[in-house]
Amino acid sequence: MKVKDVAKRWEVIIFLLLILEILLVGIFNSSFLNIRNILYSTTDFAHISLVALPLTLVIITGGIDISIASIMGLTSIVIGSTWSLGAPMPAAIVLGLLSGIAAGTFNGLLVANTDIQPLVITLGTMFLYSGIATGIAGSLGASGYNGIGNFPEGFLSFAYGSVGIIPSSMIYVILFAVFLGLILHRHRLGRSIYLIGVNKEAAGYNGIKVKKVIVIAYTLTGLGSAIAGILLTSYFTSARSDLGSEALLPAITAVVLGGTDILGGSGTVLGTFIAAFFLGVLKQGLMALGVTNNVSQVVIGLVLILAVAAKLGIARYRKMSGNKRISTE
Amino acid sequence: MKAVKDLLKKREAAVFLLLVVLVLGVGIVNPIFLKPDTLKGVLDNSLILILIATGEMFVLLTAGIDVSLGAVTGLSAVVAGLSLNAGISYGGSILLAVGASLAAGIVNGFGVALLEIPPIIMTLGMMGVLRGLMYIITGGSWIDTIPTGFKNMSGVSFAGISVFAWIVIVMSVVMTAVVKRFKSARIFYYIGDNEEGAFFMGISVKRGLFFAYSLAGLFAGLAGIVFVSRIGFIPMQTGSGQELRAIAACVLGGVSLSGGVGIPLSALIGGLFLTTIDSVLVFLKVPAFWNDAIAGAILLVVVLLDFRFRMLLEVKEKKERLKYIRISRNNETGVVR
Repeated sequence: MKVKDVAKRWEVIIFLLLILEILLVGIFNSSFLNIRNILYSTTDFAHISLVALPLTLVIITGGIDISIASIMGLTSIVIGSTWSLGAPMPAAIVLGLLSGIAAGTFNGLLVANTDIQPLVITLGTMFLYSGIATGIAGSLGASGYNGIGNFPEGFLSFAYGSVGIIPSSMIYVILFAVFLGLILHRHRLGRSIYLIGVNKEAAGYNGIKVKKVIVIAYTLTGLGSAIAGILLTSYFTSARSDLGSEALLPAITAVVLGGTDILGGSGTVLGTFIAAFFLGVLKQGLMALGVTNNVSQVVIGLVLILAVAAKLGIARYRKMSGNKRISTE
Repeated sequence: MKAVKDLLKKREAAVFLLLVVLVLGVGIVNPIFLKPDTLKGVLDNSLILILIATGEMFVLLTAGIDVSLGAVTGLSAVVAGLSLNAGISYGGSILLAVGASLAAGIVNGFGVALLEIPPIIMTLGMMGVLRGLMYIITGGSWIDTIPTGFKNMSGVSFAGISVFAWIVIVMSVVMTAVVKRFKSARIFYYIGDNEEGAFFMGISVKRGLFFAYSLAGLFAGLAGIVFVSRIGFIPMQTGSGQELRAIAACVLGGVSLSGGVGIPLSALIGGLFLTTIDSVLVFLKVPAFWNDAIAGAILLVVVLLDFRFRMLLEVKEKKERLKYIRISRNNETGVVR
């Protein structure tokens, strides 16, 4: 690949933006430029990476999943309630994971077997899952702000542990990203995902098991949300039904900023990985500059709109200059 | 029989029937629910959702989506609250609040229609921007000093029903008549049904999209006014998540997310339905924290039933068509013999 082609890749552009961003914040607040500091800041948005990565696959198939935040809450409450009812911690975690996977599979089955828009399906399941979570929490008398707590020490180290200077949550994110990257870019399943996003009917006529692939994509998103839910439960040391409820905007922003077409057909796991990092550092950087979390939403929203507008602009410019070249030849 | 079938084909009518059955059913279990005061309370509680859903409907008609409307409602409420506290007259405050929401809608319309940014991206980004803006202009604190006169507005009633409810119902009926009668108001349907076709018919697709998102902002702004008057204080979460409930209400009422299908009454009926579910559980002695689970389940069941129903119709129509083909083939062979 020529240098020029490498520079044209969206992942490279966003990676350069990430470095620029770190340097810019560093100019105003030099303590930010500590590698340990930057790595530790990733714990704060690991849950967003964990859902954004598999969500990339779903969006490439031309779908969307807005029930991700509810699945996080559901997983959290399942773990909390089974633990408080006397189950051993490993069993509670497995049950939590299974509930998240089941929720994702249910989404996938409904999307694959009907012609109802994925947005409507996951809107329904969003209410359903978060409703079940608040229902369980309410029945156990834990609907308040504190949720279900008193977890064993070992579980809390899930979010707070580290290997060398790399926090454990970052390791989960990297492992999950590698796993999904292998599926999307090195496996037949990945090719099928792209083909379905480009043209579902044609994919079907080519012998691709469209329904199966769609179910797998949504199930992986359920799995990612479940891991994120476990991580958040450990991070906040309590199980609550509204954990991660604000993850939807940053998760979709990460996917789109990472270069995935919201209409499906193109995108990469690496792009989402870098973009999630970009957003996380942006939030931390703004905080280091004294901008609160609530206000940084403005910046994230603007980044989302501007990133897409810029991509559209570049595409239009290329098309125009391409036409010009043809007309002059 | 045919009349029943035609009625079922119209989702809004079917859901309205379901709503009546639900209300009567709950009334049998717990007669208190059928008291006029209870029903009026449900109607009043549904107004905010209905207004947001009505705005959302115009966007959905064009095959778009607006997930910023909850935040627009919040913005409107905050602007109204701040202007009232600054001593601006009621009318002036309402104008400022609705103006701010209309401006937000116009920005959405600008992004979607002129910059051609996908609607979900544009409005999701705006959701973040507006939510953050709410914190910036209020400094993050609740507004709980709304003048009593403004709060009393929601209590004024005419013929037993609150004036706000009258306005919403009349507006919904009038708008339904307008979109059915006037060709210029059908522009949203043409765009949602077939954007290219509409363009080639000489319809300004950009203008239509722009109007749809601006209208959505306007209605969300009205919802914010009703919120301030009815609730009487403005927390930072005002309107949060309401955009998704509004979309759910529209879908329940028969609006299609693929565009081109739905009427303002769909938003009214869908909004009433969702609010009724929220109020019903208390009367059935089910704890209120199961509300969302039941609302979600009902939404899924309704869209799935609708899907099955459409499939059945399709299969039946195909069979009918095949029958004619077979008959004509038999005739042909008959002629040859």
